[in-house]
Amino acid sequence: MEELFTYYDIFATKGVEYLIIIVFLVIVLVFWKFVNMRPY
Amino acid sequence: MDDKTVIADIKSIGDFWAFLKSELKPRGNIATPFNIISLPIMLLGYVFIVYRLAVGLGRPVTNLNQEYPWGLWIGFDVVTGVAFAGGAYVLCFIVYILRTEKYHAIIRATVLNGFLAYLFYAGAIVLDIGRWWNIYNPMIGNDFGVNAVMFLVAWHFFLYMLAELVEFSPAIAEWVGLRRLRKILGAMTLGAVIFGITLSTLHQSGLGALMMMAKSKIHPLWYTEFIPILYFVSSIFAGLSMVIFEGSISHKVFGHQLDEAHHKHYDDILVGLARICAVTMFGYLFLKVLLIVHEHAVQYINTTMGFWWLFEVIGFVLIPCLMFISGAQQKNTATIKFAAILTMLGIILNRLNYTFIVYNWYVPLSEKYWPAPMELVITASIILSEIWVFRWMVNRMPVLKEPPAWAVEKEH
Repeated sequence: MEELFTYYDIFATKGVEYLIIIVFLVIVLVFWKFVNMRPY
Repeated sequence: MDDKTVIADIKSIGDFWAFLKSELKPRGNIATPFNIISLPIMLLGYVFIVYRLAVGLGRPVTNLNQEYPWGLWIGFDVVTGVAFAGGAYVLCFIVYILRTEKYHAIIRATVLNGFLAYLFYAGAIVLDIGRWWNIYNPMIGNDFGVNAVMFLVAWHFFLYMLAELVEFSPAIAEWVGLRRLRKILGAMTLGAVIFGITLSTLHQSGLGALMMMAKSKIHPLWYTEFIPILYFVSSIFAGLSMVIFEGSISHKVFGHQLDEAHHKHYDDILVGLARICAVTMFGYLFLKVLLIVHEHAVQYINTTMGFWWLFEVIGFVLIPCLMFISGAQQKNTATIKFAAILTMLGIILNRLNYTFIVYNWYVPLSEKYWPAPMELVITASIILSEIWVFRWMVNRMPVLKEPPAWAVEKEH
């Protein structure tokens, strides 16, 4: 019987690079707001 | 010192020569500490330059050899100097394309600095070419090496210098008092800016592409096929840090040429530049992390070279990035200026890493390249010569001071 779940090693598929980019895109939004905060 | 631009009344070539002769005369006190220190170094440097051109690149002029063909002149004068000159294309993009008028007050000084940086630092490439008398070959089509990165770099440097000269030329026309020419040159500025930005994006990354020839020699933490992207992105904050640094010194030295409104406005300019630097450095930082993962180089982090990489990235990218943010939020210009100096040191370190520090990283320390005394003196001489020419032009042309009334026009 065919396996219902296939495991992919994200390090082998270079998927971790995509994760880093997604994390960057999320953080850059917060960072943009932080940098443009009004001076205190 | 005379703060006003001399209004020239030139009607013939004779008038022009007489005007130029009078302008070449020094103004004010000549025996300043800067002049007394810099003049002997420059003169000694010129003697060494003649000696280098006569006898060649080997010892005693440089410590370059077959293992280390690139040294201080390429690593600092050319590659770092061009990164520092990047402020001109970034600021031109902000002012002329994005129409952010806030930075208009510093555009002429930045473009002049960029132009002179290319003239002197990129010009220093003449010293690095073994058979320097053949330097014009890429221009005249003698064995066009169209596949070579150096071909692209040679043409780009040449064209970009012309573009920067056109961008700055309205100030020269105002200085000489040529009204019609000023109008024509003013109309050419936007075209020159667009042309210049296009060239800059390509040759800033092109200098990075030069390093890709040495894949087996550069440490894996630094080597990636994306070096051109890293060079381009880092040239943005390197150039702006230079604008902050140079602008702050000019502000002190030539402060008497500036009006009250400019002085007041200057802190806002610094805060804006600090924000742009912080955002670019943040992106660069992520690229650095992403690329060591991409190149499977994470395993080298826990080695001596890994600590050196962390020293460069944390000490000279992350920390100044945080300082730029803090300085911008608190409107603290001292923090911003310090962050700019740290960033510039980081760029010098990064470019020297590629040219000779992590280049041949497996070679024992005793066999590594160290700049020879003549290389250091010639480099210092080139930097000081650029400062002398910059000072001469700022003191005579409307760079920081207001242009003559006839030249003030709406640029929209």
